[in-house]
Amino acid sequence: MKVTLISIPVLDQEKALQFYTKKLGFIKKLDTPLGGGNRWLTLVSKDAQDGPELLLEPAPLHFEPSKVYQDALMEAGIPYTQFDVDDVQHEYDRLIDLGVEFSVKPTEMGTVKVAVFNDTCGNNIQLVEKL
Amino acid sequence: MNFYQKKLKVVWKRLYSNQQQVDTAISIRNYIETNSDTDLKLDYLSKTQLVSKFHLIRLFKKYYGLTPHQYLIDVRIENAKSLLAGGKTVTETCFEVGFESLGSFSTLFKRKTGKTPVQFQKSNFREVQIQ
Repeated sequence: MKVTLISIPVLDQEKALQFYTKKLGFIKKLDTPLGGGNRWLTLVSKDAQDGPELLLEPAPLHFEPSKVYQDALMEAGIPYTQFDVDDVQHEYDRLIDLGVEFSVKPTEMGTVKVAVFNDTCGNNIQLVEKL
Repeated sequence: MNFYQKKLKVVWKRLYSNQQQVDTAISIRNYIETNSDTDLKLDYLSKTQLVSKFHLIRLFKKYYGLTPHQYLIDVRIENAKSLLAGGKTVTETCFEVGFESLGSFSTLFKRKTGKTPVQFQKSNFREVQIQ
């Protein structure tokens, strides 16, 4: 068994695609229509293009418990998932300039530094740098 | 302050409030990262930090979740992957990243990546040609 896919629930796939590619810098890998306006939409990291794919899935639109769970995480400020970066402060400055909103500014937590931003599609996402 | 921000504070207090220990753990990691290609020994760090080698190992494991030796192997294997993908031979790679025997390099590489160095190099053949 291999880990090749990580799914992120999003409220609007097109908006998510724009945010994750234009602001975060991911690259679109697969975009297959699934009917009803839904797509099998995956992205890869620019730095690891043969690594795991991120699936932007429209679950909160079609499955109420997914929406409830997503809303509860958002409300509590809990990150849905996290991405590794080399320099959290640098990414924070870059994303702030692009208008991204952060709920946790770059903060040292022992041997890591973290920050949390809003992906505008219903999720908090954490950035992590190993110190 | 949201739920997650409160939890970060609790976790920080519980796990990371001993800044001196955290700094020591980070300095061990930096030492391993910068000297991973040499025959590095913890005795040096133990002398500069004025604590026993065994204490350093325990400390590192507490904050990074693995022993310094295991971490060193991971760093060397990561370096080996990029050298192999860049077209270096298995023998060159083995010694350049800091291993002293081809046999243990191949065994560790296979255990960590699922492929032998030769198999890994073949699967990255396209990149080798570009070099």
